[in-house]
Amino acid sequence: MALVNPNFAAELEAFGVDTALECFNCGTCAAICPLLYEHFPRKLIRYVQVGAEKKIMENAQDLWRCLHCGLCTRTCPRQANPGELILGLRRYVVARWRRP
Amino acid sequence: MFNPRDIIDLIAANVRQSRNPFGVPSTRFNTWWRKMPGFTRRPGEALLFTGLMYQAIPYIEATTRYLERLEGSRWADYLRWARFSRYLPGSLPGRGLSFLTSRAEKQKFNGILQTICRLLTKSGVGFFYHPEMDFYSGILLYDLGDQEGFEEHARFVVRNLKLHGVHKIITVDPHTTYALKELYPKYTGETFEVQPYFTLLRLSAGGGNGQGPVAIHDPCFYGRYLQLSEGPRQVLRDLGLKYVEVRNSGEFTSCCGGPAESVSPALNREILDRRVAELKASGAPVVTLCPICLANLLKAGLAVEDLASLAGRYC
Repeated sequence: MALVNPNFAAELEAFGVDTALECFNCGTCAAICPLLYEHFPRKLIRYVQVGAEKKIMENAQDLWRCLHCGLCTRTCPRQANPGELILGLRRYVVARWRRP
Repeated sequence: MFNPRDIIDLIAANVRQSRNPFGVPSTRFNTWWRKMPGFTRRPGEALLFTGLMYQAIPYIEATTRYLERLEGSRWADYLRWARFSRYLPGSLPGRGLSFLTSRAEKQKFNGILQTICRLLTKSGVGFFYHPEMDFYSGILLYDLGDQEGFEEHARFVVRNLKLHGVHKIITVDPHTTYALKELYPKYTGETFEVQPYFTLLRLSAGGGNGQGPVAIHDPCFYGRYLQLSEGPRQVLRDLGLKYVEVRNSGEFTSCCGGPAESVSPALNREILDRRVAELKASGAPVVTLCPICLANLLKAGLAVEDLASLAGRYC
């Protein structure tokens, strides 16, 4: 069981993540991502959408697998900007590490 | 995979201390210009801004060789103490890194910058260089998510450029180009006229001397983010050189894995092997235009050279 934070997506806007709710979870990003790793980045975007803040922190290390190659952003049918979203999540996690 | 926090803290501490990711004075490795004829600044001319990327490659490779051995071992956790290397005398890590890199390796990458200067001059481009105006862009801090560190460093670089009255900038690598063209205006509010060197080249040579075709590996930032993949193709056409398109090129180019190098050399190797297979399928020698891609593809044993080196041989 995980606690959810309904304001999580809104809180992430301060870190440049403002397109998370555009995503309709089609999985194009996970299909094109060169990592071929556990539905990355789709799974993490889903955590943001449902407010699973704790899950993001538990899986924080996975954010740094992203190569920032931009293929997911280029092919996203909803312009949800998955690559920038992952980058924004890194900023959020770094800020949490520095100021818990 | 290393703990990203250890890597970020180490790089952020180094950038704060020395304005580059290695924690050593930039003068120690930014030496390529010493063998070049004097650069004289004339009004309105553009600053050649290398972002210290090509010069740094031998040091990045030396560091990565050690990280490769550490990854997954019981010593990996000790990396968290590396950030305290700032308490060592500045010359010590510098001497250590210099010791780990060969003179030939340094000259290979310095030579690319020297060739770029020669190509720009031959194309009639007015430019100058001054090592005290040339800084690392901070792009790794941005990529790793240290926004605070990146913005502080970007403001420092911008202050310095403004102080010297620089308006026009010529860049040599995709990462620095992206930082100066897209990120600096967004996060510092300052805009410069930024142009990658290959868009300014006006070269001509006859028929490529019967040379076979080359395969182009487009770096992600030129191909996708900045949509500049036509530039290198135009240079090759001007020189009468043939090229072949590989699977996944231009806007849909495949990453070489280089960005993963600092947090996971193993992941880097996995992505690299896949891209190398795509490039090898073309059967042609590879040309690229990013120092990170170049070093990474060389590491895989691929026949690859920089666009500037190739163009330099024909004019």
